[in-house]
Amino acid sequence: MGTQPIYRYSHSIGLFSNMGGMGFCHPVDLALGHDGVMYVLSRGNYDTAVQWPGKRVTMCTLDEEYLGELSGGGTGDGQIMWPAGIALDRDGNVYVSDEALNRVSVFRKSGEFLGSWGSEGSGDGEFNRPAGMAFDQDDNLLVADGLNCRIQRYTRDGRYLGGWGRPGTSDGEFNVPWGITVDRAGNVYVGDWRNDRVQKFDADGRHLNTWGSSGRGDGEFRRPAGVTVDQDGDIYIADWGNERVQVLGPDGEFRAGLRGESGLSKWAKEWFAANPDEFNARLGADMEPPMDRLSSGSSRDRSASIEKLFWGPTSVRVDGRLRVYVVDSMRHRIQIYQKSGGE
Amino acid sequence: MSQSDIDLMAHLMRRAGFGATREELERYVAQGYETVVERLLDPENTPAELDDEDLIRRYHTDANDMPVKDSGQSYWLYRMINTPRPLEEKLTLFWHGLLPSGYTKVSRTMVLLRQVDMFRRFGMGSFHTLLMELSQDPAMLYYLDNKDNHDGEPNENYGRELLELFSMGVGNYTEQDVFEASRAFTGWTIYNADLHSVRTEMMTNHPYGKLDWQFEYRNEDHDDGDKAFLGQRGALNGQDVIDIICRQPATARFISRHLYNFFVADEPQVPAWQTVPPRDPEAIDLLADAYFANDYQIRPMLRILFNSDFFKDSAFAKVKSPAEVVVGTVRLVGGHRFPGLEDMVLAGEMALMGQELLDPPSVEGWHTGTEWINSGALVQRVNFAVDQFGDTDKAGVRAIIDRIRASGDVLSPERLVDTCLDLMGPVRVSEGTRRELLGQAAAGGEIRFDSESESRRSVETVKKILQLIVSTREFQMC
Repeated sequence: MGTQPIYRYSHSIGLFSNMGGMGFCHPVDLALGHDGVMYVLSRGNYDTAVQWPGKRVTMCTLDEEYLGELSGGGTGDGQIMWPAGIALDRDGNVYVSDEALNRVSVFRKSGEFLGSWGSEGSGDGEFNRPAGMAFDQDDNLLVADGLNCRIQRYTRDGRYLGGWGRPGTSDGEFNVPWGITVDRAGNVYVGDWRNDRVQKFDADGRHLNTWGSSGRGDGEFRRPAGVTVDQDGDIYIADWGNERVQVLGPDGEFRAGLRGESGLSKWAKEWFAANPDEFNARLGADMEPPMDRLSSGSSRDRSASIEKLFWGPTSVRVDGRLRVYVVDSMRHRIQIYQKSGGE
Repeated sequence: MSQSDIDLMAHLMRRAGFGATREELERYVAQGYETVVERLLDPENTPAELDDEDLIRRYHTDANDMPVKDSGQSYWLYRMINTPRPLEEKLTLFWHGLLPSGYTKVSRTMVLLRQVDMFRRFGMGSFHTLLMELSQDPAMLYYLDNKDNHDGEPNENYGRELLELFSMGVGNYTEQDVFEASRAFTGWTIYNADLHSVRTEMMTNHPYGKLDWQFEYRNEDHDDGDKAFLGQRGALNGQDVIDIICRQPATARFISRHLYNFFVADEPQVPAWQTVPPRDPEAIDLLADAYFANDYQIRPMLRILFNSDFFKDSAFAKVKSPAEVVVGTVRLVGGHRFPGLEDMVLAGEMALMGQELLDPPSVEGWHTGTEWINSGALVQRVNFAVDQFGDTDKAGVRAIIDRIRASGDVLSPERLVDTCLDLMGPVRVSEGTRRELLGQAAAGGEIRFDSESESRRSVETVKKILQLIVSTREFQMC
């Protein structure tokens, strides 16, 4: 019998920044480049033009070196309004889905806009709020087409190859899917958001398994969003509505839960160095208010009050060294954990 | 189903909610007026509370942490438009105007929306409970400086407004009562008040976004000395002060007059109440009696109000608030809206009409009645409604056109105007307004749906009449 894996908090990357530059603004997804560069997709604060600079892709490293950004808020070519998913092809080109503009936009990692495809609709090659994306083993792009309740597959240049799924609660059906990932064997996992479950398919979209049901217990979900699989086959789910990340074994058995334990990032410390008033007030404050003072016992209220916890985790990724990256959306940061054990 | 039944139901739904479509009105009339009133008064048992909170939070990412004022305004407007519990939402707006906190000072939308939600939960219950909740509400504790109200250094801001604007009204207490009430609320504060104050004053969301606020009672900062308040003596605490306030006839009359002003007919602004008697003193007496007969409960007061003749006879006696213009028009043209990019536009429209949700101009809330109207606001109100009715693909507009089409292949100008007025409210207009509408309808030619080209032309004429109706003075009233 194997041991359970251990997840140790490593550090956080991030800082609230709605005007671009160092930091994120409601990050919703991230992609890990082979060259050690992280691409963090920020959805932004609000949709009026003054808040558009918050919408962008920030490039940085694991140790918080800021490298620049690409795209930005707006409705024109190369701009984004409700970005939801990000993925990299084998050449390192950057693909971003947009739930407001119903399209996928493609950029070189230098930031150059290469083109986009998609329009609103329910036909082949059309989208209704495209969300999570992942490349399959043939370097074709899978897109979770949210309100169309289906998965679509495209070539890198946007040629429609097919898809599967329809609205419903049976195996192979979806209710507003969000996250999607592909494991080493080519199997596809989907965060079936409004059905409170995760579904597994083979590379051709044949249903293999379904895990989870509505609830707060181990292995239960409230609106699961992002999903990923590590090299050991363990499955990570951003359990958005429960404000946590759950880890399931390859057969769907519950293995671990993470609730968040962030400290200050390097960028946050730099910000406080320039703003000592808040830092001093913070030193005198209780950053973990007692539960009986909170307005309710819900996980959302706890997350809104206790800064170290996940609040609105939307995506999770794991790299080849078993570092787990949790996109902590409402806290404008990425929390990173190191997996060990679990043999 | 008589026309007067439809008229009365439309009146009820404009006041106890944000208006209703013709289909809804016919359904309600079939249920009976008193049954509908009871259902409005019983939101907890109304099935199908909005089940799209998750969708709102998913698509409007900012609806989770409310980073800016607009986020909260859009969120609340969405609820007003889509709620299956119209009176609950309308009453929440009432309390927001009467017991307000504002973004300009608090600058924390999430904290303000928690206050709004408190009004939603407690708004029909006991006024005593509501004042207790208000006195522990973090947004209010910050807005009126009670976090700075300390033992030995009382800050009178909350104590004063509690008496002047939230319960009794000027002329019913002394300066000493204000001082003593303030002493009674010393130690009622916000947990981590220093940190939250620094962050609010700096207007910062760094490093990691918003932090929610909580109430804290600090016994060591409470003045537990002897106090004399409105004739009562003792080591009074905040709850004792609220007990005494709620027993006052002045409180019953003050709340009654506010309910009358909001739901029945426009009264002068609150500062004039000390000298100007109520428009209908008997109605105020009736409501005040209900307040005492039912342990300060708001629900029985509303039950009497909506079933009264003075309410039923008050159609079109009020100027619509911007919330009523925006939400009512959107409901009329489209009903339910899925969370979308366009949601943000509505809050901005309302602000331009003079009502910024979550940010009233002062602790007095908004001045109402004719004070809603000035030339800029009127242009905004008319342009908004005309624009909404400019799209004949909108479900509500299409439904009106379909009903007109169903009433016959050929319609005279008179029939067209009267049918449009009926389906739009019904809206009651003066003879002069009706003549103008008839003139415009006649200029558009006969309404015919017996060929494709005639249909297209007729739809344009109908659209034009609908847009003219929303431009009338009468459409500004409810």
